[in-house]
Amino acid sequence: MRVGFIGLGVMGRPMAGHLHAAGHALAVWSRRPETAAPLLAAGASLQATPRELAAACDVVFTMVTAGDDVENLVAGPDGLAAGFAPGGVLIDCSTIAPDAARRVGARLAEVGAHFLDAPVSGGAQGAIDAKLAIMVGGEAAVLAQVRPLLACLGPRIVHVGPQGAGQVAKACNQMIMVAAIEAAAEAMHFAATHGVDCGPVHQALCGGSAGSRVLDIMGARMVERNFAAGIEARLHHKDYGIIEQAAKTQGTPLLLTAQVSQQLNALMQHGWGKDDTSSLLRVLEAKK
Amino acid sequence: MKIGFIGLGIMGRPMALNVLKGGHQLSVWARRAESMAPLLAAGASGAASPAALAADNELVISMVADAPDVTEVLLGESGLAAGMPARGGRGLVAVDMSTIAPAAAKTIAARLAAAGIDFVDAPVSGGEVGAIAGSLSIMAGGSAAAFATARPAFDCMGKNVVHVGASGAGQVAKACNQIITGMGVLAVAEAFNFAAKAGVDPAAVREALLGGFAYSKILENHGQRMLDRNFKPGFKSWMHQKDMNIVMQSAHELGLQLPGAAATAQMFNAMVGSGLGEEDSIAVLKLLERLSGQER
Repeated sequence: MRVGFIGLGVMGRPMAGHLHAAGHALAVWSRRPETAAPLLAAGASLQATPRELAAACDVVFTMVTAGDDVENLVAGPDGLAAGFAPGGVLIDCSTIAPDAARRVGARLAEVGAHFLDAPVSGGAQGAIDAKLAIMVGGEAAVLAQVRPLLACLGPRIVHVGPQGAGQVAKACNQMIMVAAIEAAAEAMHFAATHGVDCGPVHQALCGGSAGSRVLDIMGARMVERNFAAGIEARLHHKDYGIIEQAAKTQGTPLLLTAQVSQQLNALMQHGWGKDDTSSLLRVLEAKK
Repeated sequence: MKIGFIGLGIMGRPMALNVLKGGHQLSVWARRAESMAPLLAAGASGAASPAALAADNELVISMVADAPDVTEVLLGESGLAAGMPARGGRGLVAVDMSTIAPAAAKTIAARLAAAGIDFVDAPVSGGEVGAIAGSLSIMAGGSAAAFATARPAFDCMGKNVVHVGASGAGQVAKACNQIITGMGVLAVAEAFNFAAKAGVDPAAVREALLGGFAYSKILENHGQRMLDRNFKPGFKSWMHQKDMNIVMQSAHELGLQLPGAAATAQMFNAMVGSGLGEEDSIAVLKLLERLSGQER
């Protein structure tokens, strides 16, 4: 298949690389073409606009930051929607609001193109190792058509429901994950304030019923005080903004999520947005 | 003074009537023509569009639901700014009394300034009762000159009129008001539900507390309405939810922790989600009763 890719950041670059390595003809577009250099050297082609990229591909992936970014890539005279042939497929792996995903789907439907929201979980390491969990919203038939491509990115591909459902699942993922990071941070902080060494506490807990992937990985970063990202906390902060708005729209009370969101706000205020979200520990420790 | 008024809902109608009673020459516009009838009957004139209000007034006041509505009536195709050419270069003061995000108010002020309109954000507190009685609290943000122009109209609608600061400052004050009233209503409802579950009459509790440090207007007025089980709005829950959402969005942008407001916002989310959105925000008491198996 002719595959296009937009968004060659920490996640996007290895994802695009896997698609290329699997033997698909890869074309890319980038606002900063220098980010494409390693892929171009490996034989990918560079297109001048999103429109030209869509015209040259059967399937285009996007992996960008915000809903506005995705909508701007799709809209306008040089946008993806202007380039897709009927039957073309856009797979957006970014984490955006479910509403925004549905709007993109509707826009593409106008030109006869298909859309899947397919946000991922697993972070940069998961992207590099091709071990991402992929949660897909959209039509089953479209997913069946592109499943071999998604399989290049990760073994766990779940069709959650119609358009937007993938983003709903991703929001659920973020709610559980960041709340668990906050819980780990509070536990580590609690131990420290009681004069108990976090390292052995962490070690003891990982084997018990409080054990989790977050406690393993993020807890270890807290013990080692290694706050280099990892996952940049500003992205979790952005996701929590999306979740709070979605909760408002549907009238869903999210008691714990709302509290965790406040801690993320404070983290941003401290200027740790580009550090790992395990910095939630430092928010608890901060004294003025 | 010649004054234009846009938006004649639960709040806007009595506010406009009070401006008219203050002896000002009033012209009005509302999305639904029938909402204009009470004002026309009282002697106001009707306008065909918000733009039409620009030609002949010194001051134009808007009172609508949310930022997109404010943007539409002031900056839309037939919005106030579109009528500015008819003024032949004379400036105009526009006052928006809706509750919207501070950031949105600043954006609107900048866009109106480009059209020659000096903008004041002047949200109110006091509800329908205060609007009818002309006893609203009015918190204004904008230039001193524009505030001075609007002052006579403010004095017809409110008792406690404060120029808080520059553009957006009125909405910041209103957000503060919503933080305090939102948590206040929830606090009174939780206390009453706690008393009832413990087998004590909430009415007696209210009576006892009114004399002490827990006294507040909310305990007195909202508390009484809770005891009367009078959940008619007043101030609809979905409006309070909207306002708390403005607060939480601003906190997100500022990188600010608001743990109490965050918890309160979730209760308003639950009210809207469970079908209480059209009732007064004191119906949070009903939600608490459901949660504690005390539904009445």
